[in-house]
Amino acid sequence: MTAFDYDVLVIGAGQGGLPAAHMAANVGASVALVEQGQVGGT
Amino acid sequence: MIRSAEVMHLVARRAAEFGVEIEGTVHFNLATAAARKDVIVNGIIRGIHGGLESRRKSITFIQGQARFLNDHEMDTGDGRLSFDKAIIATGARNTVPPIEGIDEVEYLTNRTALLLETLPGSMIIIGGGYVGIEFAQMYGRFGTQVTLLGRNRHLAPGEDRELSNLLADYLREEGIAVHTGTSVKSVRPQGVEKVVTALVDGAETHFRADTILLAAGRVANIDALDLTAAGVETKAQGFVQVDDQLRTSQPHVWAIGDVKGGWMFTHVATYDGPIAALNAVKGLGRTVDYRVVPRAIFSDPTLAAVGLSETEARSRGYDVVVGSAPADGARAKAIGDNRGRLKAVVDKATCQILGFHILAPHGDDLLPEAVAAMHDGGTIERISKSIHIHPTLSEMVKAAAKAAR
Repeated sequence: MTAFDYDVLVIGAGQGGLPAAHMAANVGASVALVEQGQVGGT
Repeated sequence: MIRSAEVMHLVARRAAEFGVEIEGTVHFNLATAAARKDVIVNGIIRGIHGGLESRRKSITFIQGQARFLNDHEMDTGDGRLSFDKAIIATGARNTVPPIEGIDEVEYLTNRTALLLETLPGSMIIIGGGYVGIEFAQMYGRFGTQVTLLGRNRHLAPGEDRELSNLLADYLREEGIAVHTGTSVKSVRPQGVEKVVTALVDGAETHFRADTILLAAGRVANIDALDLTAAGVETKAQGFVQVDDQLRTSQPHVWAIGDVKGGWMFTHVATYDGPIAALNAVKGLGRTVDYRVVPRAIFSDPTLAAVGLSETEARSRGYDVVVGSAPADGARAKAIGDNRGRLKAVVDKATCQILGFHILAPHGDDLLPEAVAAMHDGGTIERISKSIHIHPTLSEMVKAAAKAAR
């Protein structure tokens, strides 16, 4: 088992980070998605 | 907002051509247009949050500023977490060019220019690329007197010159003062106005307006991340260096979208995301394929392109045939906008499409036919010999393809 809190950390919930986080979750990873502003990007 | 500008343009300037007669004057209400935009954007944001909520067992959403503590730990503002792999997707923002006096005046960026509550009487836009062109036409159509100052000799540098020059002409016809080949020297406030001093054709020229919009250059959003702590290296311009698997200099960290520079488009970030995720989680070693990256300037008519221009293709040693057709098909005439041109750049030896360039109404929606053909190395005959619905704008794509034989 992993010694880490999360398998994958995604920094930024824009139009790149969101599909990355979803795909990582789809293939079984535990994901943390960190966003400092609004989701969706600009 | 661009749609609001289109409607305003049609109603205020062209309605009578279509038999729509308006008594009295037409006014543009920026607050209403912005509220409409907000409804759409908020709906998208709600959808995103809903999507994340439905995945909360596998995706933990954390609102906070991320900062690497080391290569496996991150501070998120109110806590720290550890991670096995990381994907950097923080994007890029408009940069503030080093112009004398820029810190002494208020200016807009592509973000804040969408938050205005009252319409500026006049606006100087610094930057003749995608953002500058789109905002110039949009605010011009809203009713603002717009001056567009581009540094390059051509608007939209990198795009087909014939098409970008045509687009500059169309913007001028709408009343936008387009100046290319300019070098902005300084800005200063003067009463309620701002004065921009620039070299235009070698002569020092002063431009005055209520507002300035900066649309020149982009910079990666990495300032707060402390990439050094994670062992992630950046390139000279501050973008994150990646290989063709989107892996950074730190082997368990990937970077996607605008933060890595190169093609800075939303659709590229969306393409990158799953590739980096699969490489991170499954170690699939998938590589990105940027041979066929479509792009569009959401002007009216729209400038949309994919692949190489004629000049680029020839400089790479291709013997090319260029099919060029005016954007004046039956549907374009019916719509009432038959300006523009479509160009297919084709490899003479193989008939493969090397590039496709469109300046036409809905050019962005016309381009994917060429994108799909190019994706698997298709020839121009896929477009030139297939049946296209009449009367549609897509017939003009076929006309350009046929002209390339």
